[in-house]
Amino acid sequence: MTERPAKLELLVRRDDESFEVREIGSSLGFIQSRPRRIADGAFEVSEVKSRVAGERSFILKNRETERFLLLSEHEKFLWEQMDGTTSLQEIATAYVLTYGEFDFDVIPNLIRKLQRAQLLTLTPRSRLRQVLARNRRQSVVQVVEKTLTGLERITVSSRSVGPFFQRLHRWGGFLLFTRAAAVACLALAVVGGVAAVALWRAFDDVFSGFGGHAVRGVLLVKLLFFGSVALHQLVHALACVHHGRRVREFGFTFLHGFVPTFYVDVTDIFMANRRARVVTAVSGPLVHLVLGAGWFLVAASAPVGSFTQAFAAASGLIQWQALALSLYPFCFIEMDGYHVFVDVLGVPSLKHDALAYAKALLTGRARLQPKRLETLWLGYVVLSTLSIAAFIVFNVWLVVTAIS
Amino acid sequence: MSTPAERLACLRDVRLFTAFAETDLAALGQRLRERTLRKNQVLFREGDPGDEMFLICHGAVLVSKVVKGKVEQLLNRIGPGEFFGEMSLLDGSPRSGTIQAETDTMLLVLDRKSLNQLIEVSPHAAAAFFYAMVHVFIERLRKSDVRLTEATRWGLEATGLDVESR
Repeated sequence: MTERPAKLELLVRRDDESFEVREIGSSLGFIQSRPRRIADGAFEVSEVKSRVAGERSFILKNRETERFLLLSEHEKFLWEQMDGTTSLQEIATAYVLTYGEFDFDVIPNLIRKLQRAQLLTLTPRSRLRQVLARNRRQSVVQVVEKTLTGLERITVSSRSVGPFFQRLHRWGGFLLFTRAAAVACLALAVVGGVAAVALWRAFDDVFSGFGGHAVRGVLLVKLLFFGSVALHQLVHALACVHHGRRVREFGFTFLHGFVPTFYVDVTDIFMANRRARVVTAVSGPLVHLVLGAGWFLVAASAPVGSFTQAFAAASGLIQWQALALSLYPFCFIEMDGYHVFVDVLGVPSLKHDALAYAKALLTGRARLQPKRLETLWLGYVVLSTLSIAAFIVFNVWLVVTAIS
Repeated sequence: MSTPAERLACLRDVRLFTAFAETDLAALGQRLRERTLRKNQVLFREGDPGDEMFLICHGAVLVSKVVKGKVEQLLNRIGPGEFFGEMSLLDGSPRSGTIQAETDTMLLVLDRKSLNQLIEVSPHAAAAFFYAMVHVFIERLRKSDVRLTEATRWGLEATGLDVESR
């Protein structure tokens, strides 16, 4: 007889008198756990080449306990994902993207083997958290920890949003994924682009419309933009439903404890084909393309030098900037464009591997090699670093220009 | 406010009083105070002082214990005919869990003075009361063992810890 998974009933209090009773199954705890391999210097890996089928396997050695473990190529891939920040759910997704298949037993089996060889450890999940945990005696650190924990708790989400998005898709959401919508989007982008170029030529006149209220105007633009992030996630969800997959969760949270954001869990789309995955990833950012074009058209038709024109132009600019940022894969953040890029190239752990390679180069543990994969890793790190620097410079310039 | 007949009917449903004579039950009923809770209202929190136990006439309460921050483990749901708070009544220790009304609830309150009176005036009824209480304690202890095993199993399953081959 198969034993049912264990469940815990937890009572979660809110700030008022109310509370919520949540039933948490052990399977949920398992897929959200973030296994962490022991420190880099505490183990070593060596490749064993097979003389028969040409399959690669690896020997993983725990230097402290002198225990050895034989890993297949697939298991080595999983081992490399176990960095303490990636959940088992995300690891499974990366596995599917790489190998196009998934055996549900492979992860628990590997975890058991790694535990036996004492190759997994438990440490706080983020570097910031690790530093804070080390200095917990200081009262300032305690306040920071409490603030971060408090912000992390502010998560408004629902796991039963599937039927809602299915209804929304049925009642008109499907129209977004028609040829007519694609043509309309393209036409709007062209017209919006023409308007943007015209506005750019009169940049100083346009932004003079803020007058003495530049800071207030910029803040208002940012606030309004925040609403469009929810719309971005909503379109991702509709795309997921459009391809016959399930939306698992929708909500609001503080990313890393301090970045407010909306999010949607469309990981079920990984079970669909590549085209569906790409459409789902790209459809969200297109919200910014449409909204940006709309704002540019409003700005172009507003009186020159008016507050309306400045506000609309700034809103259009921030929307198109979000579009570029969402689709641009080289910025160390795993945005929609990054997912499309790694999906098309078939390298789901690009960021992780590229950073590990760069770190190894900087510490002298690896040498520059003109191979394809190493070149891709290096290119990713260099381009991402340059892109982030350019992004910061551009935004500082933009704010300074708007204010002055 | 309930009538004496309603109180009596409520007491008859409580397992602790099944062996009580009608006269003993009526006398006890007069000594108990009534307390109502609206939905979600907290009666007491873990660690609060207390020397009363509560009998549920109607409604239901949740018993929970703090795990971390605002998260508590739900230990039990208690409904009509059941009781809680007896541990602090008997040994005077702080409350071991938090009680919160799940629905609008009406309770009868038995304090130490009323219990002492019961022991003095009706020793036979008091003996039946404690005997029934021991039975309930045994039942709760068994449930608690099951819960502990379930929590341990949860931890093993959630971490994927392989104890058998260690």
